[in-house]
Amino acid sequence: MSTNHLLEIKNLKIDVRVTKAKRLSIVDTASLIIEPGQIIGLIGESGSGKTMLCRSLVGTLGRRGAYIASGELKFDGIDLITAKQNVWNEIRGKRIGYVPQSALAGPNPVMTIGAQLAEAILQDENFPKSDVEKRSLELLNIVQIRRPETVLKQYQHELSGGMKQRVMIACAIAQQPQLIVADEPTTGLDVTVQAEIMDLLKQIRKDFNTSIILVSHDLPLINEICDDIVVMHAGTTVEKIPSKSIKASKHPYTIALYNSRIDLVEPKGQLKTINGQPPSVGSWPEGCRFSERCDFAKDQCRVKQDLPLISIGSNHQTSCLRHDEIAR
Amino acid sequence: MNIIEAKNVSVTFDSYGDIIKAVDHVDFVLPKGQTIGIVGESGSGKSTFARVLSGLQLPTSGSVTFMEKPIQNGKNTYEGALRKEVQMVFQDPYGSLNPRMRIIKAIAEAIRQHQGLDKKAAKVAALDLLESMGISNLDAQKFPSKLSGGQRQRASVARALSAQPSVLIADEPTSAIDQSAQAQLLGLFNELIKKGLSIVLVSHDLGVIRYLSDYVYVMKDGVFVESGKSEEIFNNPKEDYTKKLISSIPGHSIK
Amino acid sequence: MKTRITKFKDWLALPGGFGIFAGLVILGVMVILGIVIPNFGPYKSDEFIGDPFMPPSWQHPFGLDQLGRDVMTRTFSSVGIDLGVAFLGVSIPLAIGTIIGILLGLAKNKYVLSLVGSLIDGINAFPLLIIAVAMLTFLGSGLKSVVIILAITNWARYARISRTRAVVVSKQNYIEAAKTLGYSKRRIVLKHIAPNVSSETVAYALSDFILVIVVVSGLSFLGLAARPPMAEWGSMIADGRAFLAQSWWLVIFPGLALCWSAVSLSFIVEGISRRDRGI
Repeated sequence: MSTNHLLEIKNLKIDVRVTKAKRLSIVDTASLIIEPGQIIGLIGESGSGKTMLCRSLVGTLGRRGAYIASGELKFDGIDLITAKQNVWNEIRGKRIGYVPQSALAGPNPVMTIGAQLAEAILQDENFPKSDVEKRSLELLNIVQIRRPETVLKQYQHELSGGMKQRVMIACAIAQQPQLIVADEPTTGLDVTVQAEIMDLLKQIRKDFNTSIILVSHDLPLINEICDDIVVMHAGTTVEKIPSKSIKASKHPYTIALYNSRIDLVEPKGQLKTINGQPPSVGSWPEGCRFSERCDFAKDQCRVKQDLPLISIGSNHQTSCLRHDEIAR
Repeated sequence: MNIIEAKNVSVTFDSYGDIIKAVDHVDFVLPKGQTIGIVGESGSGKSTFARVLSGLQLPTSGSVTFMEKPIQNGKNTYEGALRKEVQMVFQDPYGSLNPRMRIIKAIAEAIRQHQGLDKKAAKVAALDLLESMGISNLDAQKFPSKLSGGQRQRASVARALSAQPSVLIADEPTSAIDQSAQAQLLGLFNELIKKGLSIVLVSHDLGVIRYLSDYVYVMKDGVFVESGKSEEIFNNPKEDYTKKLISSIPGHSIK
Repeated sequence: MKTRITKFKDWLALPGGFGIFAGLVILGVMVILGIVIPNFGPYKSDEFIGDPFMPPSWQHPFGLDQLGRDVMTRTFSSVGIDLGVAFLGVSIPLAIGTIIGILLGLAKNKYVLSLVGSLIDGINAFPLLIIAVAMLTFLGSGLKSVVIILAITNWARYARISRTRAVVVSKQNYIEAAKTLGYSKRRIVLKHIAPNVSSETVAYALSDFILVIVVVSGLSFLGLAARPPMAEWGSMIADGRAFLAQSWWLVIFPGLALCWSAVSLSFIVEGISRRDRGI
C-alpha cells in the first residue's frame, strides 16, 4: 500500500517561450491531488490553463514551446518534471491515459480502428501478438460498441461522433492505466451520447478503480459525474470542493459560475453573467486575478501576493482571502 | 397571427445514389413575436429545415409562406422587399464572418444595403449597432480573427439586424462558444425578443431552448416527434424520444 | 508612443520576420546593382572592350568573356530581363488563372465544369519546362514567345488552386449570410469570394516566381529563350560552358547571380509562410 498520492501537483507554474526573450505564464500556482479511484472535475473558462495542465500530465508540453517553470508534479511518487524520455514512455499511454476533445482529434483517419487499437495494446511490448484481436474486441465491448468485429475493420469517417469517442476511450484504457485525463471528451456531442459516455466513464472507474480527471466548462455535467471539483481561473486553481457541497462554495468565482447556470433561471429571466472577460495570458492583474470581476473584492485582494490553496475543511480548499466572510 | 408557415415540407438529397430524406413532410408555424425552438440531435434535419425557412435551401416538396405570401418563386426565394425580413445567424463563429473584412466594414455594408445610408452615415450607424451589442469601437476596427468566438457571434447578430428583419433564425448560435459568452448572447436575444423580434431557435442544447422558447418542436430523423408549449415539453414529455433527451441533461436524471 | 524603430523591431520579432527582411535585402542588393551597373557603369553589355578570356581584375571584377565583353555588366543586365520576364510570366497567369478558377468553382453547368476542368487537369499534368520546350518549337524561340507560352499554360496551375478554394469559400456561412442579406451576385463574387480566393493564389505566385526565373534561365540555357547577343544568365552559362575549365568566370558569376536571386526569393517566401503558420 503506497503512501503516495496517485497524482500530486503543487504550485505548478507552466510558461511558454513566445520569442527568444519573452516568456508568458499560462499556469501559475496550480495545485491538485488525486487518489486512486477518484473522478475529479476540472472546470474553467477558456484561457484558464486547464488544457495546459492536462498536457503537463501526458508530457506533451514541449510541442508548443511550453515548459514547467516551477512547482511539483508527482505521479505515484515519480517526479514528472525531471523525468527523462524512458520514464515518460513507461507512463504515457500505459499508466496515464488520454482522451482528447471530441471535436478536435479522434482516431487517425488513415488507419482502421483495429489497427489503432492494436497499436494501443502493443504499447506493452510483451503482449503476445496473437492475442491482440481478442483484446481489441474485449476493449470495444467494455466501451459498449455494438458489432465490434465490424468496427475493427472500419475507418474513422464511418463512425459517429459518439462512437469515435468510445474508440478513443478504448485506446486510452488498453493498458489499464491508473489515471485517465479526459479533456472535454463530450463537447460538441449530442446530449444523449454525452450521458452514455459519462456512464461509461463511471463504469470504468467502478470496474478498474481508475482515477479520472474530467475537464469541462459545463458545471452541471461536472457536478453530476465527479466526486470533487477543482475550479481554475486565469491559470490558477482557485478552489477544490466536493461536488455535493458545491452550494457551500467559499470562492466568489465558483459561486458566480454556479449562479450563471442557465437551468437555474426561469425562461427569459435575468441571466446572471459573470462581469467582464477572464484576463488573458500576459495581462493577469496583480493579486487575485478574479478581483476585477468580483463583486466581493476589497483592496486587500488586489495587493500583489501569492494566493495558494488553503485548507478550510476536510477535502475543501480555497484561495480566496476573504473566504471566512462568505456566508451561505 | 403566423408570420411564417411551413406546410408539408420535405427535403431529399441524392448522395451518390443514396436517397437521404433530411426533412420528411413537416408542418411548422412561427407566430408573430414568439420564439419557437427546434430541438434535435445531429442528423435530425433541423439545420436543413432552418435553411429552408431562411430561403437558402429549396424544399423538394411543400411550401413556406411569409405573412401568407409564398417565399419561393421558381428557383428564387424571398424576392425583392421580402428578403430583408428573414435573417440568419449560424453556428460556427469562425466561418460566419468574412475573414478579410474588418467587422465595421461588414456591418456597414449590410446597413448600406438595407438602410440606404451613405458611406459615412453607415459607418456611424454600424459603430452604434456594434456598441449596443457590446463590441467596442476599437474592436470594431479589427479583423474577425482578432475577436473571441462570443464577439464574433454578436457581430454576426449585428449584421443580421442591420437588415431590420422581423424574423431571426438562429442555427445553434451558442454551441461553439463558452459559457460566459453563451450567457451574454442569450441575454442579447432576450432583449431582441422584448423589442418584438420573432425568433426560430435551432439547437441541441435543451437548456438554451428551454430558456428562450415559448413553443418547442422536437425533431428526429426528419420529422417532428412532439411539439408543445415549452413548460409542457420539459415537465411533461409524452414521447419516449423526448423523455430520453430530457433525462440526458445533467442534473435531470435525478428527477 | 512607439517610434519607427521599435515598430520595425516588433515586426522583425514576429515569426518569419527575419527571413523576409534578409530576403528583401539580398534581393534588393541584386536589383540595385541591376539598375546601376548596366546604366551607369563604364561598359555596355554588348561592347567588345578587350581581349577575350581576360581573368577578373580591378577594372573587370568578373573578367571578360569569350568575345571580350565585360562579364559583370552582362551579369547585372540580366537582372532586369530575368526578373522582368518572371514577373510577366507570373502576374498574367495569376490574373487569368484566378478569374477562370473562380468562375469554374461557381459554375453549375455540367458541360462547362467537365470541359474546362479537364483542360486544367490536362495542362497541369505536365511539368512547366516540358510544355515550354514543346511549344517553343511551334512558336519559335525567343523571350516574347516564352512570355506568351507562360500566359497560355501557367494559368492552369493558378486555376486549380482558385477553383478548389472558390468551392470551399462559397460554402462558408458568411457567403450564405451575404445571400440572406440580399447582396447581388456581383457583390458577393467581387467583395467576398474573390479576396478570400486570391489570398491563396497570390501566395502561390510568390513561390512560382522562383520557379519561373529558373525555367526561363533553363530555356535560355537550351537556346530557346534569350539568344545571343542578349545577356541572360542561362544563355551566358550555356555559352561559357565549353570554357569552364580555363575561364571559370564566364559561368560562375551568372550562376551565382541566379542562385542569389532564387535564394533571396526563397527566404522571402519561407518567411511569409512561417508568418502565416505562426511559428
